[in-house]
Amino acid sequence: MTESKIPVGKRARLSVYFNKRLAQYYWERLQKNKLSLAGMGFIIFLMLLGIFGPFFTQDPTYSDFNLANIPPLGFSRQESVYDIKTNEFITTVIEGRPDHPLGTDSKGRDMLAMLISGARISLLVGLIATGIAVFIGVVIGVLSAYLGGWVDNVLMRFTDIMMTFPFFLLLVLIVFLFGPSLAIIVLVIGLTGWTGAARLIRSEALSLRTRDFITASRALGASDGRIMFNHLIPNVASLIIVMSTLSIPGVIMSEAALSFIGLGDPMRTSWGTILNAGQHTLDTAWWVAVEPGIMLFLTVLSFNFFGDGLRDAFDPQASI
Amino acid sequence: MRNYLVKRILYSIIIAWGILTVTFILLRVGPSSPVDRYILNIAARGQDIESVKQAIEARYGLDKPIYQQYFDYMGNLLQGNWGWSFSSSVPVMDLIGSHWIYSFQLILLSTIVAILLGIGLGILSAVKQNTRFDYAASIFSFIGISIPGFWLGLMLIMVFGVHLGWFKTYYDTSYPIWSLENLRQLILPVITLSIGELAGYVRYTRSSMLDNMRKEFVTTARAKGLPERVVIGKHVLSNAMLPLVTIIMFDLGSVVFGGAYLTEIVFGIPGLGQVSFNAIFANDYAVVVAVTLIGTFLVLFINLATDILYTYIDPRIRYD
Repeated sequence: MTESKIPVGKRARLSVYFNKRLAQYYWERLQKNKLSLAGMGFIIFLMLLGIFGPFFTQDPTYSDFNLANIPPLGFSRQESVYDIKTNEFITTVIEGRPDHPLGTDSKGRDMLAMLISGARISLLVGLIATGIAVFIGVVIGVLSAYLGGWVDNVLMRFTDIMMTFPFFLLLVLIVFLFGPSLAIIVLVIGLTGWTGAARLIRSEALSLRTRDFITASRALGASDGRIMFNHLIPNVASLIIVMSTLSIPGVIMSEAALSFIGLGDPMRTSWGTILNAGQHTLDTAWWVAVEPGIMLFLTVLSFNFFGDGLRDAFDPQASI
Repeated sequence: MRNYLVKRILYSIIIAWGILTVTFILLRVGPSSPVDRYILNIAARGQDIESVKQAIEARYGLDKPIYQQYFDYMGNLLQGNWGWSFSSSVPVMDLIGSHWIYSFQLILLSTIVAILLGIGLGILSAVKQNTRFDYAASIFSFIGISIPGFWLGLMLIMVFGVHLGWFKTYYDTSYPIWSLENLRQLILPVITLSIGELAGYVRYTRSSMLDNMRKEFVTTARAKGLPERVVIGKHVLSNAMLPLVTIIMFDLGSVVFGGAYLTEIVFGIPGLGQVSFNAIFANDYAVVVAVTLIGTFLVLFINLATDILYTYIDPRIRYD
């Protein structure tokens, strides 16, 4: 046997969280689900778009009223202008232009640039808020299940109250009161969205708690912390990943809905903000309302496909 | 059972009280005051802002310390007085009394559509597993789950309202509530609100039916020579419905708070969602607290009803 430089304890701890052969096995199972791969592909594309896109497009807030309401490439729009001198309507046809491939909105802002900015905002909000929510959910769920007794009782009653709270009303209320900034939106969604995660993790951890390997490690003298971090959490890790993936769409939709009703961060262009402006030009510039919605829809669909694929890949009983 | 009910009702009241308190504090501690909205008017009339502000605050008791206001509000509430709406200048009770029916009608119709169509399609696609119909239903349900409701609403308005002209683009309140004209203009809002739930029910019904179709009692039923109609309609369906009841009841809460709220805003339906939305922007705290409280009670009632419903559907469940 070759001697390893990593101390045995550390190596063991790393290996409970990442096992190369297991990851390989999951990846092979995931690959069999084509829809899931497509979803993953779109998410990666969106991330690249969000990270590198803004370097190649113009400023999404730059507005030029001479270039307002230009249709996407390949479409055209008729515009009637009343001429005072001849007392006639002059109809001009406005064609899509290659420098604005997805058209412009009523203020002459480039749709492509705005959509890319929106991708960045949506992913940021989705990932960070879900991260906060899942973190709180895991802490509360594991503590509740492992410690039991009055701790469990208090935490679960608290979760019940949070679950009963009218979520969207609360969101609108807090964002209105404390001002619509991206940080507030992310924080509020994260701090209120953990209830489902807490319950799921708790019920999973409850059943794990009574398993023999936990009893065995306790008999060997493992501390509570060690049992929780080295045995309980690694065994719910796949559940956490699936749950996070499947709760990102809801978060992205909440942010879009908030921006749509006018409570988005005024300093940033998100898909909801574009939709909010686009709802007033449904008759003249349909693309302003259609394009961000399609992006939103595809993003949510991708996360749903990917999450479903992950769940099947992690579940040894699922037939793929 | 009776003890259980009493305990649950007491518990519900405590939760409702907690939510009421949090909402009240959030609104009164927030940086803006209900008087703010008068200031522009006052300034326009050339009056002294400070003195008028103080007069208004004294008139509505807003100059008292927060805890005093809170106790006053609670005392009034217990006597059945829900307070005064600043923005509409009517008692909150009257405001809610004249608007709740719009929300109720929208939610009722959407829920009926979602349950009937969702369960129906789910059963059909389970019975016809792996046929073209099944695939179509799967694709439909994935789309329905992923499509943002408010965007779908906008698209429906654009296509059927603006371009085809089949429906009005605004909500006409002059029709009697249950008249045909009013029901006709609710078609698009009901589609918008029910699509997400409907798609979810298709999936859950299908998987729940398939789970139960593999069970041994189904083989027994078939071996007895029962017709397929009875096997599916009676033996499988009644067992598959149990997990569905939880999902439907749980969804009802999210419909009340999330979907209906946005749908009302998109279509301009003057229901409680719209009312509370306007009240939040006008800092009309009595209305916001009242609507939040009503919503909370509704969800608590739904939860309780679900638990009681269980004992009828599944005789194995008893609360002692």
